Amino acid sequence: MHKLLSLVVTLIVLAGFTGSAYSQSRTVTGKVTQSEDNSPLPGVNVLVRGSATGALADVEGNYTISAEPDAVLVFSFIGFAPYEVRVGNQTTINVQLTALVTELNQVVVTGYNTQQARDVIGSITTVSADRVKDIPVVGIDQALQGQAAGVQVTQSSGTPGGGISVRVRGSTSISASNRPLFVVDGVPVEDGQLALREFGGQNDNALAMLNPKDIESYVILKDANAKAIYGSRGANGVVLVTTKRGKSGRTSISANVERGLTEIIRKPDLLNSRELLELQREAVINAGDDPIRQGLIPGVTDAVDTDWVDAILRRGVYQQYQVSASGGTDRTRFYLSGNFRDEEGVQLNNRFLRFSGTLNLDHNATPRLAFGTNITISRLRNDRVKGDNFLDGVYSGAIKSLPYYAPYDEQGKLIGPDAPGYAGFPNFNPVAQALLPRFQTFATKILGNLYASYNITPSLKFRAQLGTDFNDVIEDQFESSATAIGGYLPSVGGRGYGIYSTGVYAIFINTNTLTFSRTIGDKHNLIGVAGTEIIPRIDRTSSVQGRLFPSDDFTYITSAGIVDAGSSFLLRSGLASVFGDFNYSYSDRYLVRLTARTDGSSRFGENRRFGFFPSASAGWRISSEPFMERFSGFLDDLKLRVSYGFSGNQGIPEFQFLGTFSAATYNGSSGTGPSRLGNALLQWESTREANIGLDASFWNGRLSFTADVYDNYTSKLLFAEPIPLTTGFGSVQGNIGNIANQGVELSVKTVNLDRTVKWTTDFNISRNVNTVVVLATDDPLFRGYDATGVGSTNVVVPSQPLGTFWGLRFLGVDAATGDAIYQDLNGDGVIGPDDAQVIGNAQPDFIGGITNKVSWRGFELSGFFQFSYGNEMLNLSKTGLLNAGEDLNTNQMREALQRWRRPGDITHVPRYVSGDTYNNQQSSRFLEDGSYLRLKNLTLGYNLPADLLTRYKVSSIRVYASGTNLWTLTRYSGPDPEVSTLDGSTTAQGIDFFTLPQVRTVILGLTVGF
Amino acid sequence: MKKILWILIFLLPAVSCREVLEPKPVDLEIDEVALNAPADVANVQIGLYNAFRGMAAPVVVAGDFTADLVLHRGTFTLFRELVTKQIRPSNGAVSALWGSIYNVAYSANFILDRLPGIAGVPAQQRREVTATARFLRGYAYFIGAHTYGGIPLVTTPNVAANRTIGRSTKEQVLAFVLEDYLAALADLPERPAGPGFAGKNAVRAALARYFLYQREWASAEQYASQVIGSGQYRLDPAFEDVVLRDFPAESIFEMGYTLADDPGTATFGLNNLFVGRREVIPSNQAILALLSAQSGERIRTIGFNPGQQGGTDNGWSVRKYGTGDEDNNNIYIFRLAEMYLIRAEARANLGRVAGANSATEDINVLRARAKAGLVSGVGTPAAMLTLIEQERLYELAYEGHRWYDLVRTGRAQPVLSAFSPNWSSTYEVWPIPLSETQRNPSLRNAQNPGY
Repeated sequence: MHKLLSLVVTLIVLAGFTGSAYSQSRTVTGKVTQSEDNSPLPGVNVLVRGSATGALADVEGNYTISAEPDAVLVFSFIGFAPYEVRVGNQTTINVQLTALVTELNQVVVTGYNTQQARDVIGSITTVSADRVKDIPVVGIDQALQGQAAGVQVTQSSGTPGGGISVRVRGSTSISASNRPLFVVDGVPVEDGQLALREFGGQNDNALAMLNPKDIESYVILKDANAKAIYGSRGANGVVLVTTKRGKSGRTSISANVERGLTEIIRKPDLLNSRELLELQREAVINAGDDPIRQGLIPGVTDAVDTDWVDAILRRGVYQQYQVSASGGTDRTRFYLSGNFRDEEGVQLNNRFLRFSGTLNLDHNATPRLAFGTNITISRLRNDRVKGDNFLDGVYSGAIKSLPYYAPYDEQGKLIGPDAPGYAGFPNFNPVAQALLPRFQTFATKILGNLYASYNITPSLKFRAQLGTDFNDVIEDQFESSATAIGGYLPSVGGRGYGIYSTGVYAIFINTNTLTFSRTIGDKHNLIGVAGTEIIPRIDRTSSVQGRLFPSDDFTYITSAGIVDAGSSFLLRSGLASVFGDFNYSYSDRYLVRLTARTDGSSRFGENRRFGFFPSASAGWRISSEPFMERFSGFLDDLKLRVSYGFSGNQGIPEFQFLGTFSAATYNGSSGTGPSRLGNALLQWESTREANIGLDASFWNGRLSFTADVYDNYTSKLLFAEPIPLTTGFGSVQGNIGNIANQGVELSVKTVNLDRTVKWTTDFNISRNVNTVVVLATDDPLFRGYDATGVGSTNVVVPSQPLGTFWGLRFLGVDAATGDAIYQDLNGDGVIGPDDAQVIGNAQPDFIGGITNKVSWRGFELSGFFQFSYGNEMLNLSKTGLLNAGEDLNTNQMREALQRWRRPGDITHVPRYVSGDTYNNQQSSRFLEDGSYLRLKNLTLGYNLPADLLTRYKVSSIRVYASGTNLWTLTRYSGPDPEVSTLDGSTTAQGIDFFTLPQVRTVILGLTVGF
Repeated sequence: MKKILWILIFLLPAVSCREVLEPKPVDLEIDEVALNAPADVANVQIGLYNAFRGMAAPVVVAGDFTADLVLHRGTFTLFRELVTKQIRPSNGAVSALWGSIYNVAYSANFILDRLPGIAGVPAQQRREVTATARFLRGYAYFIGAHTYGGIPLVTTPNVAANRTIGRSTKEQVLAFVLEDYLAALADLPERPAGPGFAGKNAVRAALARYFLYQREWASAEQYASQVIGSGQYRLDPAFEDVVLRDFPAESIFEMGYTLADDPGTATFGLNNLFVGRREVIPSNQAILALLSAQSGERIRTIGFNPGQQGGTDNGWSVRKYGTGDEDNNNIYIFRLAEMYLIRAEARANLGRVAGANSATEDINVLRARAKAGLVSGVGTPAAMLTLIEQERLYELAYEGHRWYDLVRTGRAQPVLSAFSPNWSSTYEVWPIPLSETQRNPSLRNAQNPGY
């Protein structure tokens, strides 16, 4: 607790800057208005330069202040250029303030305060929502894709509303969360999956509940300067999201419609019945058996030829509608919107529906007191289908299923478990698996806050905010007796299988800040923020499961013959914090920022509960130095930034520090059994971050760039350390190692043409080198999927990055025998687990994006490419689809036709031998170059000329066409190099295991403004 | 400054810090309170049984999948490796059984370590719980020694020490097992709460099996006779009840599942493996044996569905493990029929093939129940032992005995090399799990030969 106290003291010291001295001479009055429309500007700060004397403009924009004749009044207001005027002998001074437009003068949110972009000395990237306005992105995470250097956003699959991985400056953690913290209007929001039930790797995504069309801007905080103020949650980066707000003036209404189609970008190339049968017969003969005895009979077995992938795919319809209104008076401003989005997945029966509404309201009650609210309510219905490593998945089942079976019988009825011609385990009927189950997730999100701010003195403001992110999730599931689980597998369903589960995931947040800003003399600028924050969280979950329904007409558990499982659970956690943020600038040239935060977290034991996260940074605006004057002809701004500090990660489950017993049942009795080993010394992950950056802007913004170099070092890694099973436990949660991330980032903006035709280019590229430096033991830690022959697909081992692949090294196929040749690492003449080694990794050498935008008269054409270079993909699908005969239950890909068949064949595909696993061991045979360049989006828009519109009392009409994932350049042999089966995994990223590829979406849109 | 202090008060958050930072764990007990009062004793004993039950399905997998009773037709590599005799240290079944053995050891050691320090526990309960812990721990090590050879002998809940513990010899482990068994035999009740719980007869049955494996025939016969003679159990007249019912009259010790904790589709859920997924199906050898006249009604152990026949699938399935609602999801540890088989084998080895108190007599008890032809005229102990090997297959198929039987009688090599071309004597023990040789320095160079 005394760390907390020490910060309270810091806070008092910060507050102490307010000691003020009033002097008096003459009274000046006046009115402040906006230059744009002459409307009054309430809340403008009026200060006598070099003193503490100040005043605030009232709701009519009127102010009164005392000043001496030689004093200079400074008028300032966020979002407007400051204005200075000498008092002289005037007693009435009316002032017009001009809204700021250039990027450097834009105001950015920097945590608990705002700053002008040009004064920012941290590494941050601002993404204006304008850049994604024509792209049908589903959630606020997807909007960041390719937009910022050092931010890697990948979509784990083509499932609508599915998981998206966001990594800011690489991965800092092995097992704790690697997701950045998303903060929407001051409220940290739920990320990750919402649904309780696993669907084979393809998770849903809580961030898809927020409508990107209501977002004004995204600010990505990347270095210690920017994010240390978020303390224990800052290590993975912070994304500050600001929703749209109203402006005083005319009420503007905007309506938007988008409609389009989606289809899969590329289908896997699989064998037909005849080709597969020939292959399987060869595999059986190679195993010394008779194919006829195994039922592989030409003309009989291959009588049916079904393309299962075609059978379960469709062209999905996408539609989206939005209406918004904003406006206000000088005292009250509002933004109101409603949105409906309906996106059909490319898999049958897969659909994502979202309704959302936002109301933002700001009111100035008096010149000193303002309050307001942001409320977003969003309702989601997600019709899901199973995927990836589920045998009864839809896409995954379709790729694997033998073409020998048909989805429908001659009467057009779906073939079920009772019908002849049902493939049965492990193939089932993927079309029935898509159409029959009901997997609906209903989620409701209430994201809201109330705030009040009060200007105690012109330079001291108090602000209090209460907020919540409240997520309520219901999963309503039923698998009928004609499905794999509901009918074919008696151990679960028997006659129908239903699960109904609910979850409430909610945080409440209270943030109180005191902001102090003051100019001393005309050169010293001080801004300080001190605050407290407290965030309690609850997770309430429940579920009930039923089986043996009278018939498939009864699908709710009320009709279940047996209700055989049920649960309810509650988990509480919390965070309590004190923080301070101090900015100082001298003469606009030398800038300093110090921040500190102390966090207390319920996730750690008594002795390790509090963590302290300080940062210090400095900036030097070189371009303002007198000796730079001679370059001022072309140099707008040149700024050098240095920052150093600490941030943390607490993203682990609750109560891991306690050794615990949980309920255990036996034979109808209940008792308690050991469930976890304790670790009282468990503590935060801590990341030390150092950053040097340079911002430059030339020729009035025609060329600008930002470059950053960073060196981050994460220690005390949170990790469930695997321990020998002889202890009775498999793992213990510990702090066991260090990870380094070093990198460079460059973003360049150019205005190539600026006449009738305007052409701009935004380019960003970054390189991050991730290295596991130390682990508690020298032993490698194995992760990922179980892998034949070598244990696991992935390894965490010192001096290698996270995402390192493990396996045998495949040297080729023996031309004489047709068997795989693996490197005999230990030279013992036998291929075994001791020959397994590091065979590659999923970390890219470079990632980036490039956006070109050309506009001419009303037309706008923009193209956005995203690239990743040097990463490897583990095409684990090939252990099934190119399995060298290990089993005959799986269709094979076309590459199997290149298999070794007779001595002398030179090929990279081993011979097929039924039941043999040797040639199908986890090896570099399945590893591929995952580099790609992808045309992520191409948009053509047209704004109808204004003179045409005025006649119809319409202020703007914009029509546009937009396509996503239109073209990909890659050497990867699977359908899509961007997917990742283990959505969100860091140690096992870049694995493609029957994962649904991305979809190509082509839409037409229309926006009308009134 | 007054104003500022007033504001500072407002800055303090609305909720108390302690309330947010120290939430009470829900539905969890921390180690320190899990076993510190008399009322906790019954609870941790249930927890121990729960851990012990976790071992039952992996033992069936070890005993049957490693032998010649099943064909693999599923997708799990771990089972395919066992069935097709390509077992590797990375195998998931190998680590699952190993892990479950040490789960039992930890739970038992925890009780044995803490229980003496708790005041107020009735003496009889104290003795019985201690005996239960020693019996279940003993059985776990018995399975461990016969599956992996000499394994680390963990006797305390000291996690730090158990992280680096090395292998004991198989003889040391088995001596420890015997010590545990005999201690348990003294203090367990003659009649337990039910066949789901262990009493004296469960220990006697375990001792009978122990001495059978040790080839100490007289002791094996003696303990088997004690169980048979106790009169607590009788053979169910219809063999099918053994296959399709939980807790039949002959059940000595049986792992109980209810609807609520049925393993369902878990990796080692036996119904899912045998009936649902049909990950494995009866091998042709097993089907022919069970179809024979000598097997009689024991063919009910498996069933045929012509709809499932086709391709590599012979259409047969194991029926022994039902779903949660079928009153048939339990797993036998000991049942009376095994005692007759143990006694028959002991008697045959002692030269008592026919006549009163002979192997023939015991076998015919089972034959009669199975409505199969009675045995007569078997002349030599060797011929009788061959017959008993088959008899054990008919009676105990898919209860996890076959591989252990073939290995202990030295018959694994001829029988299993005929079953699979990949068989080698390496597979007479399982490997130490790869994860253990990687994580425990004392096991690093201690892998079983051939792996």
